[in-house]
This record gives sequence, C-alpha cells and structure tokens, in this order.
Amino acid sequence: MRHLLLFFGICSSAFAHVGSPDVFYEGSAGPYHVLVTIRPPAVIPGVAEIEVRCNSNDVTQVRIVPLPLRGPGAKFAPTPDVAQRSKDDPEFYTGSLWMMGFGSWQVRVHVDGGKGQGETSIPVPALATRSTTMDKSLGVLLAGLCLFLMIGIVSIVGAGVREAQLEPGSTPGETNRRRSRIVMAVSLVAVAAVGYLGNLWWNSEANNYARRVYKPIQMTGTVESGRRLVLHLEDTGFFRFNKLDDLVPDHGHLMHLFVVSDPAMDRMWHLHPEQGEPGSFTLDLPAIPAGKYRLFADIVHASGIPETGATVMEIPAVEPGKPLSGDDSAAAGSPVSQADLNRTEAPLSGGYRMVWQRDAAALKAKRAYLFHFRVEDQNGRPAENVELYMGMPGHAEFVGNDFQVFAHVHPSGSAPMAAFGILQAASKPDSKPGAVNVAREVPSMGDMQGMQAMPAVAMTPEVSFPYGFPKPGNYRMFVQVKRAGKVETGIFDTRVE
Amino acid sequence: MASSAEQPARVPATIPWYIWSSIVAVTSAMAGTHWDIAWHRSIGRDTFWTPAHIAIYLCGVISGVGCGYLILSTSLNGASLLKRVSVKIWGFRGPLGAFIAAWGGIAMITSAPFDDWWHRAYGLDVKIMSPPHVLLIAGMVAVEFGTLVLILGQMNRAAGKAKEKLDWLFLYVGAMIVVCICILVFEYTLRIYMHSGYFYRVVAIAIPGVLAGVAKASGRRWAATTVIGIYSVFLIGCLWILPLVSAQPKLGPVYQPVTHLIPPEFPLLLIVPAVALDWFWARSKSWKPWLVSAVSGLIFVTLFAAVQWPFATFLLSPLSRNWVFGSMYFDYNLPSTSHYVRNVFYGLEKTTPQFCAEMAMALAAAILTTRIGMGWGDWMRRIRR
Repeated sequence: MRHLLLFFGICSSAFAHVGSPDVFYEGSAGPYHVLVTIRPPAVIPGVAEIEVRCNSNDVTQVRIVPLPLRGPGAKFAPTPDVAQRSKDDPEFYTGSLWMMGFGSWQVRVHVDGGKGQGETSIPVPALATRSTTMDKSLGVLLAGLCLFLMIGIVSIVGAGVREAQLEPGSTPGETNRRRSRIVMAVSLVAVAAVGYLGNLWWNSEANNYARRVYKPIQMTGTVESGRRLVLHLEDTGFFRFNKLDDLVPDHGHLMHLFVVSDPAMDRMWHLHPEQGEPGSFTLDLPAIPAGKYRLFADIVHASGIPETGATVMEIPAVEPGKPLSGDDSAAAGSPVSQADLNRTEAPLSGGYRMVWQRDAAALKAKRAYLFHFRVEDQNGRPAENVELYMGMPGHAEFVGNDFQVFAHVHPSGSAPMAAFGILQAASKPDSKPGAVNVAREVPSMGDMQGMQAMPAVAMTPEVSFPYGFPKPGNYRMFVQVKRAGKVETGIFDTRVE
Repeated sequence: MASSAEQPARVPATIPWYIWSSIVAVTSAMAGTHWDIAWHRSIGRDTFWTPAHIAIYLCGVISGVGCGYLILSTSLNGASLLKRVSVKIWGFRGPLGAFIAAWGGIAMITSAPFDDWWHRAYGLDVKIMSPPHVLLIAGMVAVEFGTLVLILGQMNRAAGKAKEKLDWLFLYVGAMIVVCICILVFEYTLRIYMHSGYFYRVVAIAIPGVLAGVAKASGRRWAATTVIGIYSVFLIGCLWILPLVSAQPKLGPVYQPVTHLIPPEFPLLLIVPAVALDWFWARSKSWKPWLVSAVSGLIFVTLFAAVQWPFATFLLSPLSRNWVFGSMYFDYNLPSTSHYVRNVFYGLEKTTPQFCAEMAMALAAAILTTRIGMGWGDWMRRIRR
C-alpha cells in the first residue's frame, strides 16, 4: 500500500543550510585561535566580506586570500590582502575578497604574531543567489539620461547637417533644413533601433545571469507501506553543481535528515537515510506521531558544495517504528509556543542537564557568536563519559520559528566536514623537489567512511559552536552531544534582535 | 541658402582653452584605458576609485563641464564671437564639436552609476563588452570625435600659423582615435595571431579608414605618417613607463610572477604603410576616388603584412624579450602552457585556403574602409563651425 501524503510546497532552500548563507569557522591558525565569518557575495563574480577574531593579543597582522577549493588555482595563490584591524576592538579584523567564479572556494587566513605564523583555510561555496532589479529612483535617473542622450544625438546630427558647413554668420537655407529633417528622421530610427537592440542585449544578459542564479535542489517525500520514508531529490539543472550522482559522505553519511514538527517544534529527529538510486533515499521511520513535519536534508557534492533539500509533509502515525540505532537520534521538548526565551538549562536523561553559558546581552542578527554549552550531572559537576558524536564533540541545529532559517553547525563551524576533507586532500604537500609548503590547519575527520567503527573517545563535557543568525526573530536551538553511548539533545530558545 | 555673412570670423592665433581642455580629456581617457588594462593584467581586481578609472572618467568630466560651459557661455553671452560660428540645438548655441564632446562626456558620466548597478546585479567585470561599458566607450569615442570637429571648425577657417598649430592638434586627436581603435581590437591583434589572416582583416577594417579620413581633412603632406608616429610613440611610452610601476596580483590563480604593471605590446608597424600611403596620396590627387581607395587598400595590406609578418617572428623570438620590445611581459593568469607564454603562433585558420580567404577579405576591407574614410575626410574638410 502506498501512501502519498504530501506536500504543502517546497520550502525555500539554499546551498549550505536554509536562509543562512554565511560561513562560520572556529579553530586554530597555527598557534592562534580564530573565529572567522565569511559572508559570500550574492552575485558572482562578487566581493565576500571577511571577519576574523583572533583571541590573542600578540597578533601583528592578519592576511586573507581567496582560492578555488581544489584544482590548479588552489596552488597558485595571489598576494594576500591585509585585513584591517578594528580601532575599537584590536582582536577583530575585517577585509573584502573577490570571488571570481562559481563553485567551491576557500578563504585562507594567515596570522602573524609573537608566536610565529599560522594559517588555516575555510571552504566557501560561491554561488549567485539573486539578481537585482533597479530601484526606482536610479531607474528614473538613468532612463532620463538615456532619453536625453538619444534625443541629443539626433539633434546634434541634425544641427551638423543643417549648419556645420555654413560660413560664419550664415543662416541655414530651406535645402539644409529639409536635408536636416530627413537625416534627423533617419537618425531617430537608427537611435531607436540601437536602443531596441541594446534592450534585447540587456535582456539576454539578464536571462543568462538568471540561469546562473543558484536553484536549490528540490526534494519531495512520500511515506510508503505506512513507515518507509522515501525522499526524492531532483536535479534542477543548475550547471554541474547539483547533479545527484556525485554525493560524498559528510561525517559518515550521504544525507543528514532533520525532521522537525511543525509548528510546535517540540519533536526533532536527526536521521540518516540510505541512498538507492542516485537522488533517491529511503529510511524506515522510527515511531512518530501523525502530523505535519518540516524536513531538512543536508548533502554534500563531490565539489565540496553543500546543499540542503527542504520540504514540508504530512506523516501518518508510525507505531511501532524502527528503533533508533547507529547515529540516529530523537529529541522532545516543550512546544515553541511555550518557549522560555531566558532559559539557559535544558534537561537531559538520567537527571543530567545541558547549560548554555551565555551572558545577558541580547543576541544581534548578522553577528558571529560562539555558543558555549556544558553538560552537567545531577550535582552540577561536569559530566563524564561524553563521547564524539559522528566524529565530533557535538552537532547543533539552529531553526527559525518560521522555518525560514535552518543551519546544521559543528564545533568547527558551518562548513561541511566533507569540504574540509576535500580541502585537506588538495593541500597535501607538493612532492616536487624544492617545493615550499606551509603546513595548514584543516579540521581532520580521518576516514569518514570508517567513522562508525571508531571507538568511543572520552571528551570534555563542554562544546561550542560558531554561528550568527541571519535575521532577527525567534529561534530554537537543538544541541546534540553523545554521553555514555546515548545521543542527548538540549533544546534552547532565544530571541534575536 | 540665405546668407547674412558680412565678414569672415576671426580665428585667434592662440589655441583657445576649450581645445586644450578637450585635448587633455582625450589624452586622459587613452592613458587611463591603457593603465586600466595593465591593472587588470597584473593586479586583476579593482575598485571604482583606481587611478586608471579616475583618469578615464576625468575625460567625461572635463569634456562635459568644459564644453557645457562653452555652450552656455556662447548662448548666454550676447557679445560672444563664437555665436557666428556656432550651431543651434534646443535654443543653445556653440561649436558643433562642443555639443558632440559634451554629449560624450554626459554619456561617460551616465555610464558610471549604470556600471555600478550592473556590477551589483550581475557580478563584477568578467568581460569588456557590457551595455554600461559600451555606453562608456561610445562616450569616449564621442569626446574624441567631438574634439576633432571642435578643432576642425577653427582649423578650416584659419590660415598661417594658427592653422598649422590646429593641424598638429587635429593629427594628435586622430592618433588618439587610432589608439582607441587599437584598444578595442587588441584581443584580436596579439602577437601570437600575427601569422593569421584574421589579424590582417581586423587591422584592415580598423585602421585605413581613419588614416584616409584624417589625411584628407588635414591636407598635410605626411598626415598619416604623423598620426601613426604619434600612436607609436604613445604605445612605446606605455610599454616603457607602465612596467616602472610596481604591482602584485590580487586574484588567483597566479601562474606568472608579476611584480609590476604589464604594459601593452609593442605598437603595430603601421608606420610603413602610413608613409607609403602619404606618398601615394600626394601623387594621386587627380585620380578617381575608388581607384585611389583600391590602390591604397592594396598598399596598406601588402606593406603591412610584409613588415608585420617578419616582425611578429622577431617578437616571439628570445631577441625581443627585453624592456625595449616587451615580449617577456605576461598576464599573471596565463598558464605556462598557453601559446602566448610559450611564444608560439596561434593559427586562427586551419588551412591555406582559409588563410587566403581571410587575406582577400582584408584587402577588400582595406579598400572599402579607405573609401569610407575619404568620404569622411571630405565631410570634415567642409566643417566651418
């Protein structure tokens, strides 16, 4: 029996998360700790804005440079730009970088200071996300000037024919005037033709550009046989970037699927469907109440470009469902309508709790933060037996209450680990004799495929995530860590100004 | 034609300010454009406020403001001597060249916000030809043509020393037009294409008409030679001066080490056909125009190919890799495998018949553009205002 219980529509989605295009990174550049924010340009070629915070007072200079993620361009870097140090905040640096082509790029950050040199690279997808229409005032101004120029050139041609060859002081005769009128009429037609052809050219350029504006991969879902979730990704034909047969595992899975109840946001599942045919993923659902759900599916292409497929669907009650296993996890909390925006503690199982270590200051949109969390036992002591969850100290999902924003972030930041893996492979030392190489800090995940078999590694009970909210509003954060073999999720709510 | 001319308009012996300012504007545009191209070949990225862009837009500002003021002062000053040698447009009076140059200046200035919006809408520059750039180029060409007409209006009424001075300035502006045209076609006239018929066709379309027109309007014995001489000196100046400015690539990938601005190539050896054409035109004044243009086209293509072909071989040889000829300058983003860096000719025609067809088209183009140029020159000779 096949249930086809869908679709209210496809959410707006975007490369690398939904509605959250900025890239955040926290890590080391040699001996220096850096928090980097990259705001990719909305048009390509375009200028990316870079912010670097170095938590060290002996930094003398920060330099930044854009490079393709891999290929020949990744090995022949231009002269880096020197980032500007803030006058008010000497640990904060800013700069702008040109990204010339569509695709996977990296921003390389060099830090010089008292402890020597350090370097790190952060993957960045460079895709045009919009085309701009001209605002009215500029449009009126330019249209007026163009009309003036068009009429002006016709008048100049007419005056040239009528008077330019007259002897000084002469006045044009009727013959000249008639000839002038004829030439002006012809010129007017010619100028109109030029204007018309120019408009065709402009439209052609605009259409060409529109074809290059990023079209997110489309996702639809069905529930078959009462419990089997089938997801179909559809290639939108957007160049070569979102084809479906080139997906690479990101910390061990081709897809990370997040299912969030809509509108309550009180239930969330982090699941990992398996791919059958390219673009077709299936999963036996765990126990799940009937209702409306938002689905966000993170995938990464072989180019290093991440995408998030998004859809909304009605799911029938699945009971009993498939027990959670492996890296799959579920979380439950209070409905978002009852959210306490000031709460900084979230209960975990066994009397444990997760504490959001934040200050009282209000969160601002478009500003990078480090979100710190600590896991404590019943007595407020740091929790023991905290382990890596899919190779990382934690995963955090930032979801806008209106579902227009979704970001899946790791302690290293918002770039997928698969892209870091591609970057690491591309930046292996040149084996040519005499080649000069600089050791670069790239978060290493080792063998992603073999991660399932990794032994549990004891971790510190504290985890942090670099992220910045793209716009004001209310958000729910799902913070996931693994303790004593079980995935625990702390749920927090916040308002962003 | 009704005439109220009682006395000829006096042409001052000194060159008026508005001609000098227009000359500065034209020079600024051409120097700025070569500077900008060198910037993109060596640094890669820019902003609106680079010195090269300022030099280019200064052309629009100078000509727009200068010629605009000339038109207003002529229109509003009842005693202006220029009124008798002016044309009337929308109630305003001024020399025809002033109106054309002012139009060009306004077009150039208009292109600035248009270009800025274009970048924000469709990305930063990746190609030369875009609607705002075409508007900018059209404005630049109009300023050059307007300056030419502005000079002609005086030159064709002048005599003696005044005429001679104006003639020199006229030829200088003609040379700047050649520089401008060579910029527009420079992607097709690189030294690696100089053994291709297409290269000769492009040059034959671009150059003979200007030489014929300017020579016809000037009437000077060695007009074409002077124009090409100024063009050559200007290009050699760019070739020798621009590398003195240090520069580093700011875009990747950087395949070629660059430490200074990359200048334009050595000028085309147009001086040889220019000398021959001047010599021929002095001896063919009584010939029929089409016959003159046919022989002129033949002279141009034959002599230009005869000197440029072996010179191209020289330019790709190690002997030219010095600061004099500049064949060792490469754009930062040229891979070492490219024909240009390897100093290897790139044949645009794959077969001999294709090459012959291109050369035949080059000859036909040279004849046709020469004839058009002669007609243009005749028109310019009659300009009085």
